Amino acid sequence: MATLQQQIAEKFLAKLADSKQLDADKIEQLKKLLADSRKLKADEFVKVFSLPAGGDIK
Amino acid sequence: MMKLETAHIEEVRGIRKLDIDFQKGTFAISGPNGSGKSGVIDAIEFGLTGNISRLTGRGTKGLTVAEHGPHVDKTKFPDAAFVELRVFIPALKKSATITRKVSDPKKPKIVPADPDVQAALAEIADHPEITLSRREILRFILIEPTKRSEEIQTILKLDEIGQMRAALNTAQNKLQTAQKTAATLVQTNRDSLLRHLQISTLKAEDLLESVNKRRKLLGLPEIAELTADTKLDVGLAAAATGPDFNKQSALRDLNALSEAAKGFPDLAKADAAAIIADLAKLEEDPALLAALQRRAFIEKGLDLVEGPECPLCDKPWEDEQHLRDHLKAKLQKSAEAQKIQEALLKKGTAVAQAAIKVAGQLAPVLKIAEGQGEAGFAKQLTTWKADLEGLKTALTTLDGVTGLKDRLTAGWLATPKKFAKELAGLTEQVMARPDQTAALDAQTFLTTSQVRLSDYREAMRKSKAAEIAFNSAKLAYETYCAALEEELNALYDSVEKDFSAFYRAINEDDESKFTAKLTPSEGKLDLEVNFYERGLFPPAAYHSEGHQDGMGVCLYLALMKRLFGDRFTFALLDDVVMSVDSGHRYQFCKLLKTQFPDTQFVITTHDRLWAAQMKSAGLVTGKTSIAFHSWTIDTGPLVETNQEIWDEIAAALAKGKVEVAAAALRHHLEYVSRLLADQLGAAIPFRADANYELGDLLPAVLSRMKDLHAKAAEAAQSWGNKAAGDAVAKRKTALAAASAATNVEQWAVNKAVHYNEWANFGKKDFEPVVAAFKDLLACFRCDPCDSWIYLTPRVNPESVRCDCAAINLNTKPKPK
Repeated sequence: MATLQQQIAEKFLAKLADSKQLDADKIEQLKKLLADSRKLKADEFVKVFSLPAGGDIK
Repeated sequence: MMKLETAHIEEVRGIRKLDIDFQKGTFAISGPNGSGKSGVIDAIEFGLTGNISRLTGRGTKGLTVAEHGPHVDKTKFPDAAFVELRVFIPALKKSATITRKVSDPKKPKIVPADPDVQAALAEIADHPEITLSRREILRFILIEPTKRSEEIQTILKLDEIGQMRAALNTAQNKLQTAQKTAATLVQTNRDSLLRHLQISTLKAEDLLESVNKRRKLLGLPEIAELTADTKLDVGLAAAATGPDFNKQSALRDLNALSEAAKGFPDLAKADAAAIIADLAKLEEDPALLAALQRRAFIEKGLDLVEGPECPLCDKPWEDEQHLRDHLKAKLQKSAEAQKIQEALLKKGTAVAQAAIKVAGQLAPVLKIAEGQGEAGFAKQLTTWKADLEGLKTALTTLDGVTGLKDRLTAGWLATPKKFAKELAGLTEQVMARPDQTAALDAQTFLTTSQVRLSDYREAMRKSKAAEIAFNSAKLAYETYCAALEEELNALYDSVEKDFSAFYRAINEDDESKFTAKLTPSEGKLDLEVNFYERGLFPPAAYHSEGHQDGMGVCLYLALMKRLFGDRFTFALLDDVVMSVDSGHRYQFCKLLKTQFPDTQFVITTHDRLWAAQMKSAGLVTGKTSIAFHSWTIDTGPLVETNQEIWDEIAAALAKGKVEVAAAALRHHLEYVSRLLADQLGAAIPFRADANYELGDLLPAVLSRMKDLHAKAAEAAQSWGNKAAGDAVAKRKTALAAASAATNVEQWAVNKAVHYNEWANFGKKDFEPVVAAFKDLLACFRCDPCDSWIYLTPRVNPESVRCDCAAINLNTKPKPK
């Protein structure tokens, strides 16, 4: 059985994907971050959200 | 999760040396208060988690596992205090041994040291809630809603989720600030472009009209459409694109700054004044200032926590959670400081935006000054611009703002001395330059237009990116909050349903329609329960304390079920079952058996009756229960069923501790007499308090046994069974001899136990007493199968026997 944290994380990512308002690359990066069990810092999220749309090769 | 197979405990808490075979099943430990039951719970908790919540939980200031974990005689030798647990991990189908010393609680020795085994045991170590003690039950029930929310959030590890939400929120706030900064830069660059083009709105038509006028003058083709790739100076010869000084444009920039400078004294004045007022308030109230400084300090510390060692002072804590809770509690104490902190940062951001704007206005003038060779003024402007950019950064942090009081009081903008004069001088100098030829004016106009359009486009691009980043963060934060709320509502819903169902199962006779309502709201968790269908009320409103205790246990079980699901295989219930009133104990046992068939509960109780009820309800068996009759500082818990009791008594006598030997003998006799009275159906005068003493029990047992011998002899004769008759006679003779011997020594036991005349006894006095009772009890015991004899069946008994039937005395005579 998934932990509550995992359940929330899964629902969070699914909702983001459904909304189609966030770039798929950013969702993928968030997924990687959330898969890590350590405590996440705000700057790690800032980095993900600041990625250019469609990836970082522009 | 895991199940406990065995435990070996040495010199931990009140235990000297103890081995228990838990057999991976629900296990009961009973004994009077102070007999060492909770010491076993402490030791198991320590073995599994490295912590003893009784020592480190709330209200335990000054107690530590390191100092108070070892037996009181071993505090200076913590190496001697250790627990060795053999556990089975169902998910891995593996057994493992975990050995943990009090001297090194965070480094248990795990065998086998397989990564999956270590991970499984690390998970358990992270769940102190596997232990529920009597004093902790009510923390779920009789508690204010905000605290209940905290307690339940802690047990469900919701604080980790809170950290995630906070990190997303901080990210959102940072990106919002970045977006505002980027938007201000767009505005500055836009103003600069408009000023240069001498148009009032940034319409492509207006822009092209202004540019095409110059292009026409230079004989260059007009630009028909403004696209992202459009170069306003396209077609100019390379040499002509070099200088970008345009006198008229420069004059407009200088005049714009000059005009803006008139408003400098009032720029963000109100915001700066508000900051100064808050800083003054802090100066007047040193405690508030200290709280604010501590707050900033603690916030940093909390952010840096990565383990049980405090990043601020290096103090080691029991675990990371305790450290976090401690720091959070400190933060909560400074609510007023938090208010000021928020106000300071809000006003600081407003001043910072103004600083960015001024820095943007300085940029074109700096370029003019450099172009005019005004090195002094250019240096001044460069320094000022850098200062404003630094100020902008400082104004977005609490430390930065609190350090700026003097600067803000003196005028945050810190306009350089003689700035107005220097600016006027530069303006005059530019004005004095000969007018550019129409061609040169047009050329420099176009090159400057292109530079400013590029700057504006770059600022727009950055602003757009900042906006996308902020919107992404905002969307993520809001989505996370929505997901969190949905999951938490589902969680509270399922906990509420389970809690109600469990409570109904225990109280099915009188509260079969019991329901409960858990209502989460911001930072609170209200609990209301149905009272005999009269409506929903707080638990303490009408329910008895016993019922409230029962609710606590049920809520705990519901939370654990939700937290671990199928992996809820182990829990330590320390004197918790006492919460269930005597009328509902069978239902409680049934609840554990039916709802948690795969969970091993280690249950302690000081109620002998409860221990017996757990057996008769089938929750535990004789093999999965243990009873302590007493405890001494030298021996630790003394086990009632311990067949090594005679060795222990002999050991005490060998040390000359007659009082220890006498107490142990007395307790053992009480235990065996009670057991035999029950198993043989001895007639004992009823006592409402069930507080039967040895003097009540043993004579009745002896009398009953004599009676049973007589019945067995009569039955053997009626059946003509000489062998059976001889066996009965032999046992009768042995009992008579042993009984006579104990009668002789009875005075000694009574004196030793009742009158505390220890000083009058020596080893030699007491040894015959021990020998006499050992022989007497042997008359009721079968050595081969290691069991006490019993009458069977209990109703209309037909024989006295042992488990292996080596002793089997028929008491039913041949029908006549």
